[in-house]
Amino acid sequence: MPRYLASRLLQAILTTFGVMTIVFFVMRLSGDPVLLLVPEGATREHIDALRRELGFDQPIWRQYLTFLAGLLRFELGVSVVQRVPAWDILASRIPYTLALAGAALVVAIGLGVPAGVIMAVWRGRWFERPIAAIVVAGQSMPTFLTGILMIMLFAVTLRWLPSSGVDGPQSVIMPAIALGMLSMSTFARMARIAVVDELGKDYVRAGLARGLSPGKVVTRHVLRNASIPVVTIAALEIGNLLAGAIIVETVFAWPGIGQLAIQAIQSRDFLVVQAIVLFVSLVYVAVNLAADLLYAGIDPRIRFGRS
Amino acid sequence: MTGAVLDIERLRLEIDGAAVVDGLSLSVRQGEIVALVGESGCGKSLSAFAVLRLLPDAVTLAGGRILLEGRDLASLDLAAMAAVRGRDASIIFQEPTASLDPLMPVGEQIAEALTAHGVVAPRVAMQRAREMLVSIGISDPDRRLTQYPFELSGGMCQRIMIAIALICGPRLLIADEPTTALDVTIQAQILHLIRELVTARSTAVLLITHDMGVVADMADRVVVMYAGRVAETASAEAIFKAPLHPYTALLLASIPHAALAPKSRLATIEGTVPRPSSHGVGCRFASRCPLVEDKCRKETPPLVNHGDGHEAACWRSHDVGMLGVPA
Ligand SMILES: Nc1ncnc2c1ncn2[C@@H]1O[C@H](COP(=O)(O)OP(=O)(O)OP(=O)(O)O)[C@@H](O)[C@H]1O
Ligand code: SF4
Ligand SMILES: [Mg+2]
Repeated sequence: MPRYLASRLLQAILTTFGVMTIVFFVMRLSGDPVLLLVPEGATREHIDALRRELGFDQPIWRQYLTFLAGLLRFELGVSVVQRVPAWDILASRIPYTLALAGAALVVAIGLGVPAGVIMAVWRGRWFERPIAAIVVAGQSMPTFLTGILMIMLFAVTLRWLPSSGVDGPQSVIMPAIALGMLSMSTFARMARIAVVDELGKDYVRAGLARGLSPGKVVTRHVLRNASIPVVTIAALEIGNLLAGAIIVETVFAWPGIGQLAIQAIQSRDFLVVQAIVLFVSLVYVAVNLAADLLYAGIDPRIRFGRS
Repeated sequence: MTGAVLDIERLRLEIDGAAVVDGLSLSVRQGEIVALVGESGCGKSLSAFAVLRLLPDAVTLAGGRILLEGRDLASLDLAAMAAVRGRDASIIFQEPTASLDPLMPVGEQIAEALTAHGVVAPRVAMQRAREMLVSIGISDPDRRLTQYPFELSGGMCQRIMIAIALICGPRLLIADEPTTALDVTIQAQILHLIRELVTARSTAVLLITHDMGVVADMADRVVVMYAGRVAETASAEAIFKAPLHPYTALLLASIPHAALAPKSRLATIEGTVPRPSSHGVGCRFASRCPLVEDKCRKETPPLVNHGDGHEAACWRSHDVGMLGVPA
C-alpha cells in the first residue's frame, strides 16, 4: 500500500510538473508573449515596458525558473486587462464551478448509478424499458439544448426557477441537470454493464449456493466488485463535466471558470487563460489520484501490490 | 428408491426448446458417493445446478422431479430454495478461486454460510468458521480467515469452498469436478479430504467427473451420461467388471491413457458428442459406436435393468464384452 501510494503521488506530481512546463513553452512558442499580452495598438515603449515588467527580457531558463517559483506561491501573473492578479480572478470563480460540477456529479451518479444497477439486476422486466429510454434520451440530447429547453419550461413558462445567473441555491438546479444529464447516461450504461458482467461470474452462483438471497449477493458482493469500473468512469466524467461547464455556464450565465475562460479568450487575457488551464489540469490530476486511492480502498489486490 | 437423500426423476432441461438433459434419473443414499460421468458438454454441470436451482437464465427446468429427502425442490419458491441451499444441500464447483468473491476475506465468506441461514450471530459465525478450518486440517486458521482469495492457492481455495459447503452440515454434497482445475498433486489430497469428511458425516455425495480414475477411487455407484441421457448406471464394482454400454467400455479403455496424460481425459474416444439440436430418433451414441447396427439408428434404446440395479440403454448390451474390457 505505501508503495502504491508513493508511486501514484509521484506520478501526480510529475504530471502536474509536465503540464506546467508545456503551458510555459506553448506560451513562448506562439510568438512574442508580450505581443499577446498588450492591448491592440499599443506603442513600442509600452510594449518594452511591459516586457521588462513581466521579465520577458530575461534568458528563457531564468524565466522558466521564475515561472515555476511563482506557481509554487500561486502567483500566476497579473491580468493585463483587469490589472488584478490572475489567481484572484480565478479564485473568485472557482466556488461557482465547483458547486455546479459537484451538483452535476450528484445528479449524474445519484441517478445514473441506481438506474444502471436496476436495469442490470432486473433486466428483462417491464420497467427496464422506460429507464433505458430516459438514459438514451440523456445521452443523445446536446447539453445546450437540454439547457435551453429547461429554461423555456421551468423559467419562462412555469416560472419555478430563475432562468440564469446566481440567485439563491435553487439557481444551481437547472445548470446542474443540464450539465449532469450526459454523465448520468454514461454512469447508467457503465454501471449496467459492470453489474451484468459481475452477475455472470462464478462467485455469484457460489454465493447463492451457500444460501444468500439474490439481494444479499448483489449488495454484499456484486456492487462492490462492479464499483471498480464505475470509479474509472467517474474519474473520466469529472473531466468531461469541467469541459461541459464551459457551455452550461454560458447558457445559464453562471459565473464560473467556464464563463471566465470564454471571456478571457475573447479579451485576449492570456495570463488568466493560463491560470485556468493550470487549475483544470490540477483538478484532473487530483481526481485521478483520488480514483487511485479509491481503487486501493476497494480492491485488496491493488493494496497488496498485485495486479 | 426409499431412504434416498437425493432422488432425481426424469429430469429434463432445455435450452431454446432443445433438451440438453433428457430424462436423467438417479438417486443418492445417505453416506453414498455416486459418480456422474460423461464427456464435456453432456449436461453434467447443468444437472448439478438444477438440483439447487442455480441454472443459468438460458436453461429451463422443463420436466421431472428433484426430491431432497422427499421434498420436491422444483416446486419451492425462491426464499424456501435459498433456505435449502448451503444448509440441506451444498455444492462445490470446478473453479474454486473464481467461486470466491475476490474482494472479501475468505473468513467472512465462510461465515456468510452460517449467517445467511440465521443460524448464528456474525461474531459466533467467525469462530465457527475458524473451527471448521481446523477440522479440515488447515494450518494457521486465524491468518487464513483474513486472507483474500488471490492470496491463496487453487487447492486452498477449494478447501475453503469445502468448508463453506459443509459448515451447516448438509445431508447432500454435490461436487462438480472439484479437482479438474487443480494441480495433479493437489487433486488426490482434495479428493481424500472430501471422502474423509463425508464419511465422518454420512453425507450423500453426487460427484461429477470426467475421470474414470477418480470414479474408481471414490465412487460407490456410477451414472454414465451421454448427450443428455443416462447410458448406463451400476455399482462401481459392476461397471468396472462388466460394462453393458459400449460408451462405458470405451471410457474404461481410455483410463490407461488418462493415467499417462491426465489432461487428455476422454479425448481418446473418436468423434464428438452430438449437439442437442441435432438429436433425432435412435441411439445418440450411434455415430461413434463400434457395435452400431440398423436398429440403433431407428429406435431409441430404453434403459433396461440387467439385475442388481445395473441398467444400460443399449440394444447390444450383451455384446459389449466383445469390445474387450481392461481386467
Ligand atoms: N449458460 C448456458 N447457456 C447456453 N448453453 C449452455 C449454458 N451452460 C451450458 N450450456 C450448454 O449445455 C450443455 C451442457 O453443459 P454442461 O455445462 O452441463 O456440460 P458438462 O457435462 O458439465 O461439461 P464439462 O465437463 O465441460 O463441464 C453444453 O452443450 C453447453 O454448451
Ligand atoms: S444402441 Fe446401438 S449404437 Fe447405441 S450404444 Fe448400443 S450398440 Fe451402440
Ligand atoms: Mg461441467
